[in-house]
Amino acid sequence: MVERAPILDMICHAILIAGAMLVCVPLYFAFVAGSLTIAEVQKVPLPWLPGDQFLANLQTAWVKADFSRSFLNSIVVALGITAGKIVVSLLSAFAITYFRFRYRMLAFWLIFMSLMLPIEVRIVPTFEAVANAALPLQWLADMLHVVDLWKWISGHDVTIALEWNMVNTYPGLILPLIASATATFLFRQFFLTVPDELCEAARLDGASPLRFFWSILLPLSVSNIVALAIILFLFGWNQYLWPLLFTTDKDMATAVIALKNLIPRADSEPAWNIAMSGALLAMLPPTLVILLLQRWFLKGLVDSSK
Amino acid sequence: MKKMAFIAALFGVLALAAPAQAARVEVQWWHAMSGVLGERLNELVEKFNASQDKYTVVAVAKGNYDEVTNGVIAAYRAKRPPEMVQIAERGYMTMLLSGAVVPVQELLDQKGYKVDFSDFVKPVASFWSYKGRMSAMPFNSSTPIFWYNKDHFQKAGFDKPAATWQELEKQLYAIKAKGVSECGTVLPGDFFWSLLENYSAINNQPYGTLANGFDGLGTEFVYNKTKVVSQVARLKKWLDDGVMQIAGQGFSPEQLFTSGRCSTFVNSTASHGNIERNAKINWSATFLPHESDINPPLNSTIGGGAIWVMKGHTPERYDAVAAFLDFVAQAETQVWWHGVTGYVPATNKAYAMARERGYYKDHPTREIAVLQLSRGTPNDNSRGFRFGNFVQTMLAQRSEVEAVFTGQKQPQQAMDDAVKRGNEILRQFEKLNAGKGTEWSPEAK
Amino acid sequence: MKASAPIAPSSIWPEAPADSPSGLARSQHKSPGETAAGRRAVTERASKAWTPKRGQPDREPGLKRANFGRGVGLPTLLLLPQVLILVFFFFIPSLRALTQSVLLSDPFGTTVHFVWFDNFKALFANGEYRQSLVTTVWFTVAQNVITLAIAVVLAFATDRVVRARSVYRTLILLPYAIAPAIAGILWAFLFNPVVGPLAHMLHALGISWDPNRNPNDALWLVIMAASWKHICYDYIFLVVGLLAVPVSLMEAAAVDGAGPIRRFFLIALPMLGPTIFFLAVMNFIYGFFETFAIIDAVTHGGPAGATNILVYKVFVDGFINLDLGSSAAQSVLLMTFALICTLLQFRYFDHKVNYGV
Repeated sequence: MVERAPILDMICHAILIAGAMLVCVPLYFAFVAGSLTIAEVQKVPLPWLPGDQFLANLQTAWVKADFSRSFLNSIVVALGITAGKIVVSLLSAFAITYFRFRYRMLAFWLIFMSLMLPIEVRIVPTFEAVANAALPLQWLADMLHVVDLWKWISGHDVTIALEWNMVNTYPGLILPLIASATATFLFRQFFLTVPDELCEAARLDGASPLRFFWSILLPLSVSNIVALAIILFLFGWNQYLWPLLFTTDKDMATAVIALKNLIPRADSEPAWNIAMSGALLAMLPPTLVILLLQRWFLKGLVDSSK
Repeated sequence: MKKMAFIAALFGVLALAAPAQAARVEVQWWHAMSGVLGERLNELVEKFNASQDKYTVVAVAKGNYDEVTNGVIAAYRAKRPPEMVQIAERGYMTMLLSGAVVPVQELLDQKGYKVDFSDFVKPVASFWSYKGRMSAMPFNSSTPIFWYNKDHFQKAGFDKPAATWQELEKQLYAIKAKGVSECGTVLPGDFFWSLLENYSAINNQPYGTLANGFDGLGTEFVYNKTKVVSQVARLKKWLDDGVMQIAGQGFSPEQLFTSGRCSTFVNSTASHGNIERNAKINWSATFLPHESDINPPLNSTIGGGAIWVMKGHTPERYDAVAAFLDFVAQAETQVWWHGVTGYVPATNKAYAMARERGYYKDHPTREIAVLQLSRGTPNDNSRGFRFGNFVQTMLAQRSEVEAVFTGQKQPQQAMDDAVKRGNEILRQFEKLNAGKGTEWSPEAK
Repeated sequence: MKASAPIAPSSIWPEAPADSPSGLARSQHKSPGETAAGRRAVTERASKAWTPKRGQPDREPGLKRANFGRGVGLPTLLLLPQVLILVFFFFIPSLRALTQSVLLSDPFGTTVHFVWFDNFKALFANGEYRQSLVTTVWFTVAQNVITLAIAVVLAFATDRVVRARSVYRTLILLPYAIAPAIAGILWAFLFNPVVGPLAHMLHALGISWDPNRNPNDALWLVIMAASWKHICYDYIFLVVGLLAVPVSLMEAAAVDGAGPIRRFFLIALPMLGPTIFFLAVMNFIYGFFETFAIIDAVTHGGPAGATNILVYKVFVDGFINLDLGSSAAQSVLLMTFALICTLLQFRYFDHKVNYGV
């Protein structure tokens, strides 16, 4: 800090503590509910103090939800979404901020539009798209009458049946969720603030665009990438509807799906103690990611304030 | 002419590639049961798989009923539906006229299974059959019953809840006035089902024209001209006077009853599983009340789900499906399922078996639902409900009833609006489905 | 999708003023009351370091002044992965979803009628839809302001404190780690008028709180819950943005006598312009499109439609009611509406944002 301002610092701490409380109160009640027996958790009002079943409930939740398998799936999916989105977005943001080409703005707005129709609203056609990703090619083939052409040339009757099924595969889970513009927009905003002198200097030195991208732009973007990676990992981890409707193989279930199956619905025993224990368990990997990735914030700081 | 086919399998797995040594045919069943019910369902499937060595049923939890429905729609459109799917009662017409399902009774007949469909409990059979043939296999059937806290009633000087709404109202007000409990009753989360639809059936009120839709798609709602209006007004009055509480979101209304805070609760008989195990109050249950000027009351109707069979699979797989459905229909399976959940046995044979074994001596309240379902002969008002887009009309109605609860509308106005909205939805369904369903007639075969 | 046709670069932006002032310079214009020499010193320092040469006639919005020139090959290649994924998994499915808006179809797709614009007409004639539109505007604006304001305050505070900084950061980020379904349930529980501990506190304060029977309470509840879930999003990008503010600038301003809060508003905030613009747009999109899981868990859109915002209605009509035609028509309208709002946001704010630092 530049100077000392103890009163302001105290106010800041107070604000942050208030903010942290805002977060912790709901979580505390999740913890309390997770530490009770099923009879206790149905009491009205819910006790303020935790019970003694916490570990037992954690264990039950872990086994019932088969978290050992679903955690792995979730980690793969969340990492895949994070990495995939960051890579494609960095590249496209680089293209639309550093190159003058005719369809630049069109490209930007096309990408941007992908924010405006959540996957939940287009889930049926998306499912079709992933159940057979080759479908558009099939239409193309049908439209161009490739079959007739071939028949005309060779005299044989053929059927073209293209199939590229991604149901119950990781790419099928990941790719549709990469298709959105959040990250591209963020990097566009960031690249626009990068000093022009850097690019000019690189050009003077005869560096190619990719060289500039790799050696200068990327290192500058580290803290933004880290922030985005945290956000995207959590986003990917918490995906529910798409993985649920899309996977039909138990071994492909993600942690949130497993968790949702713990949440009691009508007619079932309201085992909120197990559900809340499960919720806390499912929070662990994301929390770990927040903790681990935070170390990289400072690295970004050092690089960008040079 | 020579025929050739080029198949480009670019990526992914082929579902057909079954392991060579395992001769078991595998079929999928997508369902909506979570928590303890999901575990019971898995046990059921394991029982079936262990009972023979030809077929394997794989139960896949696909979220709640809405999510299962969407999952099966998406999968069907992408040409990879499961063999079986569990759909809630409100989805009946959608599934029936979808053109995507195989009639259960046809399938079982064709595969040579002798399931006695005439033995199913009447409101169950009538709900799930079309033109006299069962279209889906009843699986988890429930009906609302009236739960109460014995101690509260005794403290207030009553033996048990009254049989009519009028007398019950006095009791609940007395319980509140004497300070026995904080509230007489809880608004159920599915009040439209228990307190409006089942209320209409029990009190012999028409819900829609054309025998509640059983006689055709041209049906129109009429509940704005029946006792339903005064029922809504009654609920509003109870709410205003604090005799009834809304649990709202964030916890289950059931907890207000099981914790001893509210004295009574109208809820599905399927709550037995939980209440028997976990409620620390001195509880009991009885029939739903009826209006004092309606005697005798009619049967209640069912809620829950049934197993639908999807089109588009090989005969071997339908062998497996038929074997499984036959297993589900067996009295032994029904009795077990009845006991470990709270759902009713779907057949009279299963009910008789449970009775013979003295099951209801230990669990007297479990018999209420069966008795309530099978009392009298179902008539046009109590056979069930056959409305298209029944979820959508229900949500419109729920929203209008909420407008009464928030004080924005009078009950009559709200029900008029609900009926108006509902009828528009019904006309849309009619427009889309006119002339469908002929393939279900037995004579079409 | 069709809305994209008329979007050409020139129609979005009239020629950006070549001499559009940078944010720093602008903040100088905007506050004529303060004429401290220190501020000028800061501005000059900033200018000396990085201010781009202005007055270039070929400046395009959203394009670096120092760029790699024309040429279509490389940028196309760079865009290719993104575009391919979008075409296959966004545009084709979306187009197919949106074509439902002129159809009347059963969910399984066995019967399909072409009905022209009946689905749209039905919506415009529907009072419920208009109510939903009004609710959406309230919801989105309130949610956006609350989220951003709280996030700015928290980020500022995080930047100030030294001790326990990463603990705070971790805690404040946690809501994003909770599955939305659980978050919604927790909020609904905490503010449940019968059993909720926080609702009891409100009652103790003499506030009659009942989101089950009071539409306004319900709307506030979902606004707070949606904001709570999203504050951390804004917060983390603001924290990162603040880290990147050059220490030298802050020190210079401090030497010139600007206190921490004034420095924040004078230097840090303008420099965060691009981030804040990004967040404002993202908040808007979040409120518009991503909040139905929370609404579903907290209020079901009730009571009596009081929290039935447009996207929740799209979701309910499509996913639960299986009324695909109406749902698709609503999606078309919602997308058009959102696109217009976003274009306006870009039109009025993007070139005012200070990218030139």
